[in-house]
Amino acid sequence: MHPATHPESARPARTHRTLKFGRVLRGLAATAVALPLIFGAAACGDSNDDAGTDPNEKVELSVFWWGDDSRAETTKKVLDAYTAAHPNVTFVTTFQGNQGYLDKLSTQAAGGNAPDIFQLDDNMLSELAERKVTLDLTPYVEDKKLDLSKFPESLAKYGVVDGEQAGVALAENTPGLIYNRTKLKEFGVAEPATGMTWEAFIAWANEVSTKSGKKLPGTMDPSADYKALWVWLRQQGKEFYNGKELGFTAEDLTRWFELWKGARDSGATPTADVIHEGNSSDASKQLVVTGKAATSWVWSNQLAALSKNTKNELGLMAYPGDPKGQWARASMYWSGSSKTKHPDVVADVINFFVNDATAAKTLGIERGITPNLDLRKEVEATLTDANQKASLAFETEITPKFGAAPTPPPKGHAAVRTLLVSIAESVQYGKATPAQAAQDFLTQAASKLA
Amino acid sequence: MALTTASAPVVPEQPGRRAPDAHKRRGPGAGRGRQGVAGYVFLSPWLLGLMGITAIPMLLSLYLSFTDYSVFSTWEDVEWIGLENYQEMFTGDPQFYRAVTVTLLYALIMVPLKLAAALAVALLLNRAWRGVGLFRGLFYLPSLLGGSVALALVWSALFAGDGAVNEFLAFFGITGQAWVNDPDYALGTLIILGIWQFGAPMVIFLAGLKQVPVELYEAASVDGASPWRQFWHVTMPMLSPVIFFNLVLETIRGFQGFTSAFVISNGTGGPVDSTLLYTLYLYKRGFAEFEMGYASALAWVFLLAIGILTIVLFSTGRFWVHYADGEDR
Repeated sequence: MHPATHPESARPARTHRTLKFGRVLRGLAATAVALPLIFGAAACGDSNDDAGTDPNEKVELSVFWWGDDSRAETTKKVLDAYTAAHPNVTFVTTFQGNQGYLDKLSTQAAGGNAPDIFQLDDNMLSELAERKVTLDLTPYVEDKKLDLSKFPESLAKYGVVDGEQAGVALAENTPGLIYNRTKLKEFGVAEPATGMTWEAFIAWANEVSTKSGKKLPGTMDPSADYKALWVWLRQQGKEFYNGKELGFTAEDLTRWFELWKGARDSGATPTADVIHEGNSSDASKQLVVTGKAATSWVWSNQLAALSKNTKNELGLMAYPGDPKGQWARASMYWSGSSKTKHPDVVADVINFFVNDATAAKTLGIERGITPNLDLRKEVEATLTDANQKASLAFETEITPKFGAAPTPPPKGHAAVRTLLVSIAESVQYGKATPAQAAQDFLTQAASKLA
Repeated sequence: MALTTASAPVVPEQPGRRAPDAHKRRGPGAGRGRQGVAGYVFLSPWLLGLMGITAIPMLLSLYLSFTDYSVFSTWEDVEWIGLENYQEMFTGDPQFYRAVTVTLLYALIMVPLKLAAALAVALLLNRAWRGVGLFRGLFYLPSLLGGSVALALVWSALFAGDGAVNEFLAFFGITGQAWVNDPDYALGTLIILGIWQFGAPMVIFLAGLKQVPVELYEAASVDGASPWRQFWHVTMPMLSPVIFFNLVLETIRGFQGFTSAFVISNGTGGPVDSTLLYTLYLYKRGFAEFEMGYASALAWVFLLAIGILTIVLFSTGRFWVHYADGEDR
């Protein structure tokens, strides 16, 4: 600041006044961008600049993921094991809860300062890959330095965006129906089975409602659930997305909403306000554990987590219809940063996570089922939790019946998902007819995907 | 900002203290210049805060509101799209209008009721009862907890379909609603929560009531004015500047309502967008749908709307706000 008080002495400062506002603005913007860059550069100043051929070169990688303490513990153990095998490579790890994870990652990425390795799910993979935040791992996959050959083929492909391997599945997962086995026994209703049609499933749910004396509706209404809609569409030869657009019409969506309107009207599902509670993604609020419905539409690997929230015994099956509509979905990915100085090491670390037997056993199936089919058996032998075993048995049984994986959802998927919830709820609460709602959805989704 | 004001004198003219060589060019360390430096040094934390936390981000957000900027964009692919965000907002975004409607309903119903509650309780607590201090504290408490997530969580538990409120109603044989899970009632629940947090304006009303000269009441009662007349013809006019102050403050606060709606709806504004307050919608677009450019445009429209509303409130103030020393203003 210029200590200007006297008119004459103030003269030099006056030149500032002649600055065009635009230039000032640009200057400010440049400062705002430059500052984090400077600090960022300083923070990683001690890492070596030449992406070396020297195998003993000191390398420090930053790793970032979301999850709880137990996930952090296993992840760090695997990283330590990698350091033990490659003493020149060390890691700086950060983790946090799901809430705010993407905010933080995006801020770092915007500053050109993304972690070398970070965790993603398919909600975000395309968004980041299309914006060139992720490292293209294709060359490493091609020369087997990052070996995906033991993966189910569709799982390996589910990390490919626009022809680039943007992420590698850390675990496999698939949609699963989790039902309350204890209550079914109590009411004397047969357990549902994988492969039953949607109509048969709704009829079964109706039976549960009736036999429980209307106390326990047979199923959560999944009409707001994008993965249920997606499986249903695939069973009719359609996709949720066709490239960067929706892969279905208003008529398809109308039929979907009508299917569930029928189920609600007949009493197979709870009422709209209870369904709204279940639309929350929180595992502890799923209706199957709060006792407000006999079945929840979730992911197969959630069996263990949901079981912790109820005293009842839970069972697991595929979504109704032909299991071909389902696919080996990556529950989470490891991705590298496109700005990393050590892409070779990044690829090698990811390879270690998915192909090293000890690493696989350390990780267990907390993130989902082990992606490497050979290691899956070894991991299976180490499991002690009955629910985890059941999850894995289900996955092993259903994997051969899967259809091909679609491409990961496009940019804008996160917005489309929340849109589906609010539109489907407008039908559930009777604020819109299925046809109106379907039309609204298509119009608004188009602008979110544009 | 600081660049353009740098040449203005920061120290008032003090002729008596002018140094003998005042007319000569001096280095920054000399005479009043040194005071200038000291002034800026003392100002610098505030100036840095203003620049770093307010001015630069605001200017950036204004710039971003004219761009297609996702949180993941690097600076190279920020694309200038002119007024497209604003155009989209006013012509192609039904949720924008939904958010505006919800926010207006929320603020216009909640603020008057909240102020009425605050004033009523302040009048009660203005008496010299035993233990009145304790009551003042208790009534102020919800306000202290006001913005907290914990309170909103408690609220959503109380008003859930199987919550305590419905159990209480069931005691009287009334079948309750699914309050927070029903689009017809969810916003009403939020409004009640907002009204309940009337502690802050209440404390200000209390302070205002203490300022009303006792002689006025004495004179009024000598003239035979009923308590009701005293309230309307003494208390209200004398209190009007405080009412005005509270009205402006609470209106702005009402429009900025966020936390309770965010917590109760799990960040969705649901069910069926019934609790989609403007700031919540802004948050959704920016952080859940990653459209920072659009969210910035939403923020600027919001800023303008609140600015205009405040001006309108101030212009009506002329007609009903009574200042005791009227002539001086």
